[in-house]
Amino acid sequence: MLGRGGDAHRAMGGAGWRAVWVAAVALAALLTGGPAHAAERGVSANEVVIGTSTPLSGPAAPWGATALGAEAYLAHINDQGGIHGRRIRLEIRDDAYLPPRAVANVRELVDRVGVFALVGLIGTANALAVRDYVVANQVLWITPAIDAQVWVGYPHTRHLFVTYPNYLQEAIILGRYAIDELGARSLAVFYQNDDYGKTGLAGVQQAVEASGGQARLVAAVPYELTETDLSGHALRLRQSGAEALVLYATPRHGAMIAAEIAKIGYRPHRLATFTLADPVMATLAGPAWEGTIVAGFFDFPGTNPKVDRVLSIITERRPDLAATPFNALAGVAFLEPLLEGLRRAGPDLTRERFVQAMETLQGWDGELLQGVTFGPGRRQGLQAIFLAQYRNGQPVRLTDWIPYPVEF
Amino acid sequence: MDLLLQYAVNGLATGSLYALVALGIVVLYRTARVLNFAHGDLAALGTLVAYTALTGVRLPFSLAAMTGLAGAAAVGALFYAGVVRHAREAAPLSQSIMTMGLALLLGGLAAVGWGTDIKAMPFPLSATAVWRLGGLVVSQLHAGATAVAAVLMAGLYLLVQHTRWGLLMRALSENPVAARLLGVRSDRILAATWALSAALGAAAGLLLAPATLVDPFFMLNPFLKGFAAAVMGGLDSPPGAVVGGVVLGVLESLLAGYVSVAFKSTLAFLLIVMVLMARPEGLLGREFQRRV
Repeated sequence: MLGRGGDAHRAMGGAGWRAVWVAAVALAALLTGGPAHAAERGVSANEVVIGTSTPLSGPAAPWGATALGAEAYLAHINDQGGIHGRRIRLEIRDDAYLPPRAVANVRELVDRVGVFALVGLIGTANALAVRDYVVANQVLWITPAIDAQVWVGYPHTRHLFVTYPNYLQEAIILGRYAIDELGARSLAVFYQNDDYGKTGLAGVQQAVEASGGQARLVAAVPYELTETDLSGHALRLRQSGAEALVLYATPRHGAMIAAEIAKIGYRPHRLATFTLADPVMATLAGPAWEGTIVAGFFDFPGTNPKVDRVLSIITERRPDLAATPFNALAGVAFLEPLLEGLRRAGPDLTRERFVQAMETLQGWDGELLQGVTFGPGRRQGLQAIFLAQYRNGQPVRLTDWIPYPVEF
Repeated sequence: MDLLLQYAVNGLATGSLYALVALGIVVLYRTARVLNFAHGDLAALGTLVAYTALTGVRLPFSLAAMTGLAGAAAVGALFYAGVVRHAREAAPLSQSIMTMGLALLLGGLAAVGWGTDIKAMPFPLSATAVWRLGGLVVSQLHAGATAVAAVLMAGLYLLVQHTRWGLLMRALSENPVAARLLGVRSDRILAATWALSAALGAAAGLLLAPATLVDPFFMLNPFLKGFAAAVMGGLDSPPGAVVGGVVLGVLESLLAGYVSVAFKSTLAFLLIVMVLMARPEGLLGREFQRRV
């Protein structure tokens, strides 16, 4: 029997094996879309496919509005004929804010869907979980929605472009404003007990240290993401007697702590990260939000006609996004440098042409973002934020753009 | 001293709502022997129904609240009639696992129906209007929520101890087979118990909503706290649920104030474990007996 099997094998060594190879190559060509489209992953004659992983379910689901906002805006771009005749298709995957699901999603988007670029991706833990995989596969990644500080000193940034603010620098600016402009001599920080919140705390600490003894950090009160009772936190803050309170929290916890401290008659100056800038905060926290100073990295709706136009484009297609305008607009802010890069790269789109095109953005103003700059070796697109104050339920601009260092 | 009292009062307000959640869990467990993991989701659904009745239909608060309670009660009873009743022969553990399925289903449906954005719940009591008693500050909302929770607990006590329905519930709890043989219509009683339990959860949700804000998942943490309170108090003891909830609320508040705000829940749960090591049946639960 062995001899017969060997004969059969030898017989296959000739024409039989050649046929198998030809079939395999033909099948591979078929599966990859054929030689005509094999030039660049995610790019075909009439379409560019991009992808994102975002929380659409679970407790972090409100942030999923970023991807839905981007999708609605892309529908508008596609209605206008797309870019260089190609429609832009955004593949959205739900990760419920769980890193293992984000990893599975990104692997699917890269390996199976074959996206040209990733855009956004929310959550430091999620983004760090996929970072090495994205780098190893040389996937273009436009604005992971995580603290930009993560990229300072990170060597593999060739395919990365970031227009997300830096929480550390933002917190330094908030702390400095409290000390220099509001005259606060004691500061407290209410922060989420993770990288996001701790970076905010570190920034305020740096601002206090740089004040040369003018001000002190008198309380740092953390909370857990699942917390639903902040009365103890509020009492701790009141006990500290801080004249200014800096918030690094989710919108829910930002609104809750504002209401809790108001409940016990504690009214320090309140300053908050840009993630709490959404006008919905005035609804969630009610009058307790009045007077809060917030950071911003693009103009708020109602203060800039271009921003209002983008919001109306989005809400025309997705009326439900009117409930979270800031998140929906932030999704467009993550996306719009990519669209500009596609325009500048020209019709013959490759990854390298796209990278070169992005590096020509110098002080570029989009629909939302302003002054975006990239270059060879420069991947930090933003270098300034501004501050606004809530008055009569609306953010009113307080300062001009406040610059911060370019670090990557 | 004022500060200690303030932490205790805050803890009492939170604890009374934990107690209300725990009561809903205990009422169902002692009658049907089912641990309902969808309790928080039923509560969230009832609260969202009330939210829509308030802001969409523009009903007055009292009517909207009743609509929310009725909505949660109806879903609870329907789940019993449509699913659990047909799996009557299944072990209680299997029935409890079914409730996990219900939790996922309700969470998903609520997310589709109401969206996942956070909503501010209009409420007749103000969170920022306060009464000052010396150094002590009590908000209208805290005082009102505690009072309503206390009234509901008292009402439940009267229902269980002094009405025919309560007697039948207790009969089913003591010995389901004997109760059925004696003509107790167990399906009706069990459906009503599911409804009552869900309505209690929705009441807790409504009272928590103005402080915690509302989305389809906002009851997840209060459910876990209520569950812990129920276990600490004794899963088959309604007074135990009340004691467990209040003890957990006050304990957390004091630990946040005097030990560590970051580890308040961890330390509170550590103390619960110690209580259960000393009294496995819970603070007021019946002692476990094993027949040999």
